[in-house]
Amino acid sequence: MGTTNDAARPENEAKTQSRRDFLKITGAGLAGAFAAAALGCVSVETRDGRKVKAWRTSTGAIVHDPNLCVGCRRCETACTIRNDGKASAYVSRIKVSRNLNYGPEGVTAAYAVADGQLGNFRLVGETCRQCSHPACGDACPVGAITADKKTGARVVDARRCVGCGACADACPWGIATVDPETRKSTKCLLCDGDPNCTKNCPTGAIAFYPWEEAEALLFGSDANSGASAVSGATA
Amino acid sequence: MSATYGYTGKFLRVNLSTGEISTDDTAKYLDFIGGEGMAMKIMWDEVPAGTHPFAPENKIVFGTGPLCGSGVPCSGRTNITSLLPSNPYHAVSSSHMGGYFAVELKYAGWDLIVLEGKSPKPVWLRIEDGKVRLEDARWIWGKGIFDTMAMIGSQMGKEAQVAAIGQAGENQLNLAVIRTGSSHSAGGHGGVMGAKNLKAIAVRGTGSVKVAADRQALMDADKYMMSLIGANNQMVVPSSPLPWAEFHNPTSRWNAKPGLFWGAANPPVETGECDPRDMQSVGKRTFKAVFDLGAAAEKRTVRMGGCAHCPIRCHSQLKVDELAKYGMDTYVSNTCMGYFSPRGIMYKGIKAFDGYDAADAAVIGTALGAKLADDYGMWCNYGQIGRDVKFLYESGTFKRVLPAEEYASIPWDKLQAGDATFLIDFYDRVANKKGEIWHIADGAYWLAERWGLGKEYWDSKDVKLWSPLGFPVHHSNEAGAQVGALISCFMNRDAQNHSHMNFIGSKLPVEIQREIAGEIFGSPDALDVPNNYTRMNEYKARFVKWSLNRSRLHDSLTLCNWMWPMSVSPLKERNYRGDTGLEAKFYSLVTGIQKTEAELDRDSERVFTLFRALTVRSMGTVDMRNAHDQTVAWVTKQDAGKPQFTPGTIQMEQEDLELGRSMVYKAYGWDEKTGAPTKATLESLGLGEVAAELGAKGLLPA
Repeated sequence: MGTTNDAARPENEAKTQSRRDFLKITGAGLAGAFAAAALGCVSVETRDGRKVKAWRTSTGAIVHDPNLCVGCRRCETACTIRNDGKASAYVSRIKVSRNLNYGPEGVTAAYAVADGQLGNFRLVGETCRQCSHPACGDACPVGAITADKKTGARVVDARRCVGCGACADACPWGIATVDPETRKSTKCLLCDGDPNCTKNCPTGAIAFYPWEEAEALLFGSDANSGASAVSGATA
Repeated sequence: MSATYGYTGKFLRVNLSTGEISTDDTAKYLDFIGGEGMAMKIMWDEVPAGTHPFAPENKIVFGTGPLCGSGVPCSGRTNITSLLPSNPYHAVSSSHMGGYFAVELKYAGWDLIVLEGKSPKPVWLRIEDGKVRLEDARWIWGKGIFDTMAMIGSQMGKEAQVAAIGQAGENQLNLAVIRTGSSHSAGGHGGVMGAKNLKAIAVRGTGSVKVAADRQALMDADKYMMSLIGANNQMVVPSSPLPWAEFHNPTSRWNAKPGLFWGAANPPVETGECDPRDMQSVGKRTFKAVFDLGAAAEKRTVRMGGCAHCPIRCHSQLKVDELAKYGMDTYVSNTCMGYFSPRGIMYKGIKAFDGYDAADAAVIGTALGAKLADDYGMWCNYGQIGRDVKFLYESGTFKRVLPAEEYASIPWDKLQAGDATFLIDFYDRVANKKGEIWHIADGAYWLAERWGLGKEYWDSKDVKLWSPLGFPVHHSNEAGAQVGALISCFMNRDAQNHSHMNFIGSKLPVEIQREIAGEIFGSPDALDVPNNYTRMNEYKARFVKWSLNRSRLHDSLTLCNWMWPMSVSPLKERNYRGDTGLEAKFYSLVTGIQKTEAELDRDSERVFTLFRALTVRSMGTVDMRNAHDQTVAWVTKQDAGKPQFTPGTIQMEQEDLELGRSMVYKAYGWDEKTGAPTKATLESLGLGEVAAELGAKGLLPA
């Protein structure tokens, strides 16, 4: 089961940062953090005067298995038909197409043995990790990304989104994507707890996992080494 | 155009002579559905009769349809239409490929690409959404297809989907493919691209296909389709007894079962029971590696692949480390003829070597040949090339026609000994146009002319040619008696028709199939019991017409005719009934243009009749019955001494086939004597201008 050590880093660092910040939160902020559990996310002030957002943890996340994926991309149309009323690969909230041919690294001289359809046939899909401390949400200048009340997914409020792309730039996984047709950001919203991509995967290569399991699968039981991670995705 | 659901609404025109790139409006062609239908109209309007396929005046149309890219199951195909070089009259024909190219083209905003002219220097066409330009291709000219794709990907980004030709296409072989992705080939038109100095088309699309319907309605239709879909070729019965299945049939492509693994996956993936109600195993039910290559392929299978938006994965993806010692890349993907074709060339079999037993050696040797053919971009004329090699060698023709020095330099000993490295030498000579032997890639008709082959070639059941036009059997008289036989008489190359096969070959007991045939075609007698045929009847003629029309429909929508139509279902609770109205349902939902099944069939009939008119115009005669629709002699003589229509023979009878032709002509409203479309029928289909041109040329039946 292949993965890379790098896969664990960005999220792990973000999480560490998040916990450190949390310890510094003032009394008022602490109340805010509890509010976050109910409301999804609130901005709180740390003791040293910085503003951070406290996020409710997502109920879980979707994980993609490169060993089972057959590259049909039915997940991508399932996502966009349900959520956008149109079919598209680019704005799909699960990303299979972009690594389909040559894997995450793109074309190299060794393409014939690297990941992808034109290589070793290993297909590395990328999914939203619903990060405990989401860079997309923190980067959004208008607060359009919040935690969904039901699922905890980090969701975009299209009415507030201004299409600036700050979320897309910030996301270490390249998931948040501004739809070139609507100029609104798209990212995984867990479909109200019933993800349409997983239901339409013909090999069970993608599945929704509760948070603890999702974390282990995405980053490994040893978060530093990513040793037992299933997902082969890298940022 | 107003209707931009399903369709993108515009297509691309590229003049390679001038470099001019322009757009056109899809709405003008809506009567022709999409893909193949629209391409036929463009060929009729814009390419004069008598044009050579390799002339700049010929056009080549890459087409998608309104369902392509929408996520409708099995909708990833690209239709390519142009004059066909291997055809003796250079008549119009289509070739098709799966993969991801067509979907990317739709997402880039284009329904079709129409290419004309000839570039003064090698170029490739770069499409990035609305940004389109021709790029210098001198740095990739001469390269195989795999490296071509990678080199273009390095310039355009890893997401680009590429359709390219190899050396075979560059050298303008009649038998050359256009290929996309790891293993998706369209056979027959590679040389047309080569003649235009066009190495490749590469596409990147960040847009979408809009859907008219309420999103839930489309999702419901998709879910409904999942209750109908079978395995590859719509086989709805598993190959082994499984708890969920009432029937099983060992010849089924639904060959997943407990204990059978994608053995080279890490860890190995068990295919398992694949209950048709389980949506998370649909993609495992067809294990084509083992089906095509035998049990020895199990341990080498990384997984099954296929096309965009298709849950049925019919391309096996293999890890064959032994290829490294031939300097070849070790990952090989293909399906069906992609494997059978090199294996056919090795007609004495592939023998055990270096400690590999015969079964293992066959997988290695076949993979070697498949990879070579795919890199050079060689076509096989639907497997004919292997039977040609056998005939030409065994009959002494090679010895007679090849210069002595060339003959002596070919490693025939390897061919005879079953050493697959013969293929390394063979494909190099043919794809690179070396010596005289490369003319084997002229295609059967032209090579027979060049090398003076007579009755012993054409009339041989083993050579398996079907038509005097030089194309072979492809689900013909062995597939539903006169139904398959007649379907194979109407095209300008092998029939490439699975509308009938995806029903006849479902593996359901024949009694159930005959019941369903009765419901679709009016009588169970539309379908004979295998190897126990009855005479022609009007229900078989309806079956033929329906199959020909649906094939046009699928190549126009574009849906995969290797899965569609959904005539049957794997579910007992549905009494195994499929739904032949599902194409119309999806068409209406996606495009917002409401059409019934009958209306869409009528549109397909228009496309097929236009295709027929194109053939009449190319051949310059109305006498389609005698000049076009005949078979070679073995078809009516294959079991000499056995009377037709008795158990145990599938041979046809000339008089009965002529009756069948008349019935099909009548069903289309064509002239019953000649089989040419009449003025009245053309006009009733809205093809008045076609009737006028044929009339002016004296090509309307009396």
